[in-house]
Amino acid sequence: MSKGRVLVAMSGGVDSSAAAAVLVEQGYDVVGVTMQVWDYTQSCDITVEGNGTCCSSTDVEDARSVADSLDIPFYVMNCEAKFKQAVIDPFINNYLEGKTPLPCVDCNTYLKFDHLLKKMKELDCDYLATGHYAQIAKDEYGNPVVVTSADDWKDQTYFLFTLPPEILPKLLFPIGDMEKPKVREYAEKAGLSVARKKDSTGICFVGNQGYANFIEEHGNFDPKSKAGVFKSYPDGKVLGEHKGIHHYTYGQRRGLGLAHHEPLFVIKTDTQDNTVWVGPEKYLFSQRLELANSHWHTELNDGELVNVKIRYAHKGATARVYKKEDGKAIVEFEESQRAVTPGQAAVVYRQNALVGGGWIL
Amino acid sequence: MCPSVPLNEIFSLGIKGSYDTRNPAPILQNPPNNKFQKTQSYAIPTPMTHERTDLYPDLFSAGNKIYFDHNATAPVCREVLDSARELLSLWGNPSSIHQFGRKPKKVIREARDSFAKLVDCHPLELVFTAGGSESNSLVLKSEFLRAQKEGKTEIRFLMGKLEHPSSHKVVEQLKEQGLILDWIEYRRDGSVDLEDYTEKLSREPHLVSCMLANNETGNIFPIKEMVSLAKAVGSKFHTDAVQALGKMEFSLKDLDVDFASFAGHKFYALKGVGALFSKQGNVLEPLVAGGGQERARRGGTENVPAIASLGVVARLAERQADYIQYVESLRNYLEEELAKNISDISFNGRSNPRVCNTSSVLVSGVDGETLLMNLDMQGIAVSTGAACSSGNPEPSPVLLALGLSREEAQCSMRISLGWGSTKKEVDVFIEKLVPIVDRLRKLKTEEIS
Repeated sequence: MSKGRVLVAMSGGVDSSAAAAVLVEQGYDVVGVTMQVWDYTQSCDITVEGNGTCCSSTDVEDARSVADSLDIPFYVMNCEAKFKQAVIDPFINNYLEGKTPLPCVDCNTYLKFDHLLKKMKELDCDYLATGHYAQIAKDEYGNPVVVTSADDWKDQTYFLFTLPPEILPKLLFPIGDMEKPKVREYAEKAGLSVARKKDSTGICFVGNQGYANFIEEHGNFDPKSKAGVFKSYPDGKVLGEHKGIHHYTYGQRRGLGLAHHEPLFVIKTDTQDNTVWVGPEKYLFSQRLELANSHWHTELNDGELVNVKIRYAHKGATARVYKKEDGKAIVEFEESQRAVTPGQAAVVYRQNALVGGGWIL
Repeated sequence: MCPSVPLNEIFSLGIKGSYDTRNPAPILQNPPNNKFQKTQSYAIPTPMTHERTDLYPDLFSAGNKIYFDHNATAPVCREVLDSARELLSLWGNPSSIHQFGRKPKKVIREARDSFAKLVDCHPLELVFTAGGSESNSLVLKSEFLRAQKEGKTEIRFLMGKLEHPSSHKVVEQLKEQGLILDWIEYRRDGSVDLEDYTEKLSREPHLVSCMLANNETGNIFPIKEMVSLAKAVGSKFHTDAVQALGKMEFSLKDLDVDFASFAGHKFYALKGVGALFSKQGNVLEPLVAGGGQERARRGGTENVPAIASLGVVARLAERQADYIQYVESLRNYLEEELAKNISDISFNGRSNPRVCNTSSVLVSGVDGETLLMNLDMQGIAVSTGAACSSGNPEPSPVLLALGLSREEAQCSMRISLGWGSTKKEVDVFIEKLVPIVDRLRKLKTEEIS
C-alpha cells in the first residue's frame, strides 16, 4: 500500500538522490524531477567533474541515472527563464548594489517551494520532497515546524526561512535525520551511482570562473562604471584604485592588492561613488543589525533571547529581536558580530527550531 | 560459409504477390475533408483484421501502455522484428567480390527497388543514408557546394520556417559561408503563404526546401504547385518527406521534386537508415566521402540490416492505402471524442490538409508539458513537439512560427497515431485524459482566485 505520491526534487547530487531512495524504501510512490536552471555547456568543459555542480547538464544525467536505478518516473523541467529572472538577475543586481546576495534562498523561495510545489499539485502528488538537511517536527500545539538537521555542520535550515509555514504539511525532508557520512553510506548501499560524487560547494551557477567574472559576463553593465577607489576607514584617505565594487564583499581580506602596515579588510562599500572602505578588523564588528522582508514561522516575543545566524557558515549568536513595521526587525546581539553583510540573511532560532528571518540591510 | 538463414524467408513476409505489379500510388488529388462536422459519426472501417498485435509485436500490451507519439519514432513493425535475426546475420560486406558480399548486396538492391517503387522513383535515384537528418544535411550542403562550383557569386536558398532543426541548423552553418537565406512564411491555419512564396521566388533562389508534411500539425503542403512555381524561375526543389512516409500517398515523379529526404525509423523500420532521393541529372557532393558506396554519393560500409528493414517495410507499405484510410478514421474519431468530452479545445491546422495520423490539440488553460507528464505516469505517450527539442524552455517553434501565442503553443499537445493504433486505445486515452484536464483546469482556477 503506497503512503502517497511524492514529487522529489533531484539535483543529481548525493543528497537528493539519497532522499529519493529513502522515499522509495519507505513505500512512497515517487516521481523524480530535475529543474534545469542554467546551461553550463555555454561556458565550460562539462566533461570535467566539478564544472557545474547543481543542475547542469551532467547533473541532469546523474539524476536520470539515479531515477533509472530506483525505477521511478523522472522528468526534466526546464526552468532556465524562471531561474534567470528570480535568481540570477537579482544576484547580479545585488552585487552591483554593493550587497552580497544569497541566491540559494531565492532558488528555494521561487523555484523549489513555489514552482515545484505547483508542479506537485499538477502531477497529482501528495508531497514535495527535497534533499535539504532540515527536519520537520511538531510543536507543542501539534503544528509543524522546521528544525535543524541531525547534521549540525550541513544543516541548511538557514536557507529555508522564506518557506511559507502553511506548506510544511506538504513537505518531506527525507535525509534530514541523517548526518552526511550516513547519507553517503546509504547511497552506497542503495547502489546509487552518485554515492561518491563530489559535494557542491559555493554558488552552483558560478562555477570555477569566480563570481565577479560571472557578473561581468552575464550582467548588463559596463564594468568600468563600477571602478572607484579604496578609502581607509574611518579617516577617508585614498589608498588606491579598485577593479569595481562587485569584486568586494564585507570582511574580505584577500585580493585587495593594497600594501599596508596592518591587515586591511573591506569594512563596507558605498555605491554612490563606488568607494570601497577598508580598515583594520575591529571596525568590522557590530552589535546591531536591521532586517527587511522578514518571514516568521512561529510567534516571537519582543526582545526574546534567541539564536541568530548572520551567514550560512556562522555558528549563531544570542540576540534579542524586535519586530518593526513593514516586515522590518532589529537584531541586537549580546556580543558584537564580525562582518554583518547587507544582502545576507539573519535567521532566527529558538533552540533548534526555525523561528524566521529576514534580509540584512 | 555464408549465414545459413535463407533470405527468401525474410522477404516472404511482405506481400509477394503485389511486388511485381507496379502501380504507383497516385498523389492525393482530393485531400480529405478535415472540417469538423459534429453530425457526422465516424465508423471505424476494418480494412484488415486490425489488432495492434498484427502490426506491432506485443511490446506494449504487458503494461497496457499506449503509444501515441509515432511522429517521434515508430515501433519496428512485426515483420522487421520477426526477421531481426536474419537481418542481423547479413554481416558480409556488400562490396566484397567474394560470395560473402553477395547476399548483403542483393538485400540492399532489393530494399532499394522496393523503396523506389513505394515512393515512385528510379532505384538509382535513392542514396541510403543514416537517417533523415543526414539526408537533409547532404542535400543542403551539396547544393551549396554545387552552386559555388557553378560559379554563382550570390547563393540563395528559400526555406520553410517550419522545417526540422536538421535543416535549420545546416543553413545556419551555410550562412557563415555566405549563403543568403529567405524564409517561406506560413499562416495561422497551417497553410503556406503562397503569395509571399511567389514574391520570394522572384529573387531566384538556387534551392527551395519545404517539407511535404509537418511533424507537429501534420499539415500537408502543396509541394507540386510550389515545385512548378520554383521550376519557372529555375530553382531546384528539396522536400523533407520524413513525416509524410506511411502517412499519405505520394509519388516523387508526380511531385516533380529534385530531392526528397526520408527516415526509416518513422516508418516502422530500424533506426540508422534513411534515404535521399536525388533526381537523375543532379550531382551530389558527398557528405561522407569514402570507398565509393552508394555510387560514390555516400561513403562507408552500408548499414545492411537497417537498409534491409526499410525494404521490408516498403513492401509491407504496398497496402498503405488501407492503413492510411484506417488511421485517418481513427484520428478523426479521436478528435471528435476529444471535442465531445473536453470544452475549450481546438485542433491546430485542422482546416487544411493533414497527414492521416497527426492531431495537434490545443487544450486551453492546460500546460502541454504537464499534461504529457500526467499521461506518461498513466502509461500514455504523447508529445509537446519534436522529441529532439524536449527540455527546451521555448514552446514549439513550429506553432510559434504559425503565429500561435506562447500561451497557445504551450497549451498544445501532439497526438500521433500509427498503423497499429486501435479504437480501444483511443477510448482509454480519452477516459484517462478527461479527468487530468479537469483537475489541471481546476488547479489553474484556484491559483488565479
